[in-house]
Amino acid sequence: MRILYINNDGAGFADYLEIAENTTVEQFFKIKMSGAQTSDYLIRVNRQPVPKDYVLQENDRVTITPTKIEGAVLSR
Amino acid sequence: MQKQKKLIKLANCVLSALSELKKARLKEIQSKLEDVGSRSSEAIKDSHRFFVSIKKGWFYAAQQVIDKVSRDMNDFSYHMGRFKELIGRDEVYVPTLADIISELLQMEQEFEQFNFNPAEKTISVTTKSIVLEDISFGAFEIKLLLNDFNNLYAERPYRVIALNPNPASADNNVTHPHVSSEMLCEGDGHTAMSKALEQGRLCDFFTMVIGVLENYNPDSPYISLDDWEGMSCYDCGCTVSNDERYYCEHCDNDYCDHCSTYCQKCDTTVCLGCAYKCPDCGEPVCDCCTAVCEDCEEKFCKDCLTDGLCQDCEEQRKENENEEERQSEPLPSIQPNSVG
Repeated sequence: MRILYINNDGAGFADYLEIAENTTVEQFFKIKMSGAQTSDYLIRVNRQPVPKDYVLQENDRVTITPTKIEGAVLSR
Repeated sequence: MQKQKKLIKLANCVLSALSELKKARLKEIQSKLEDVGSRSSEAIKDSHRFFVSIKKGWFYAAQQVIDKVSRDMNDFSYHMGRFKELIGRDEVYVPTLADIISELLQMEQEFEQFNFNPAEKTISVTTKSIVLEDISFGAFEIKLLLNDFNNLYAERPYRVIALNPNPASADNNVTHPHVSSEMLCEGDGHTAMSKALEQGRLCDFFTMVIGVLENYNPDSPYISLDDWEGMSCYDCGCTVSNDERYYCEHCDNDYCDHCSTYCQKCDTTVCLGCAYKCPDCGEPVCDCCTAVCEDCEEKFCKDCLTDGLCQDCEEQRKENENEEERQSEPLPSIQPNSVG
């Protein structure tokens, strides 16, 4: 089953992924963001908040955006 | 209906800004390509010069060409690296109008205060009041400038404006530990924010900006929270608390303990730049407590001058006076020959 996964952590990433059928959002988060806490991220499926046991569907758009980002003086 | 029209107008503005960004990136590639071309032409000219130098036995000239090529090679490899980086960047994907409209609808849901200014072509989101370690910075307006999108790789196309500013005492431009002159230091979020903007994922972008504002990184702030209420020393720039700052009334600036002293004559505080070290007693004094010696015209503290003269000049003057007195005394009468 194919979904669009947008990960805004680190360098950012947006691509289609193959995942197993009946994968819940919580399982997907654990696989992709191992060690991370869900409370530190805004998780949206098709731009909407969903319960953690939501079962991902074909062509779903999953966005994981960190809500705790460390700012730093950066030269560009 | 009116709302839908406004939404479509805004989506079109965003779409047009993203197209401009894509165009700007392609123009940058074109400019780098031209640069590589001109450097290659220069290398061909060098090759010809080198060939001629060897043929004519001009070894010094040949060495000059080698030196030049060596310098150019360093430049060239740097520029090639940048060019490779530019080309290697993910292709800028321009979303469809429907994608942008969905994005804007999501923004309406996610953010309570979301505004579009069609005249300025800006999209703004207002945060709730930001509090970090018990210091309140008030709410911020994150203003995305659609007209500046095409400059994304050189400059941040958004401003972070403090609506009820509580700036650092040391610098009024720093309104948050990670915001200076309305610019956010994005830190860990830099690449992801740029990508979100490139791809028109505005909601992700604003969420990440808020993510930086709501967190404090003590390792790299413009001004740390510990120093937020302090003053910056005008001389060395270190931050000092209001209780530990010293005001120099001669230059109207605040200084730290190390960069200030006090006048040994009148006890006023002076900075090291305004304090004058008396060449006689060696003590620091303020300008008001100095005077110029009438003879040598050097500056001394007033205590080291007697009747307008420094000690050396006074002694010199006394010596001169004694000398004059000696010279003005009548010479002893000369005895006639053969007497005494």
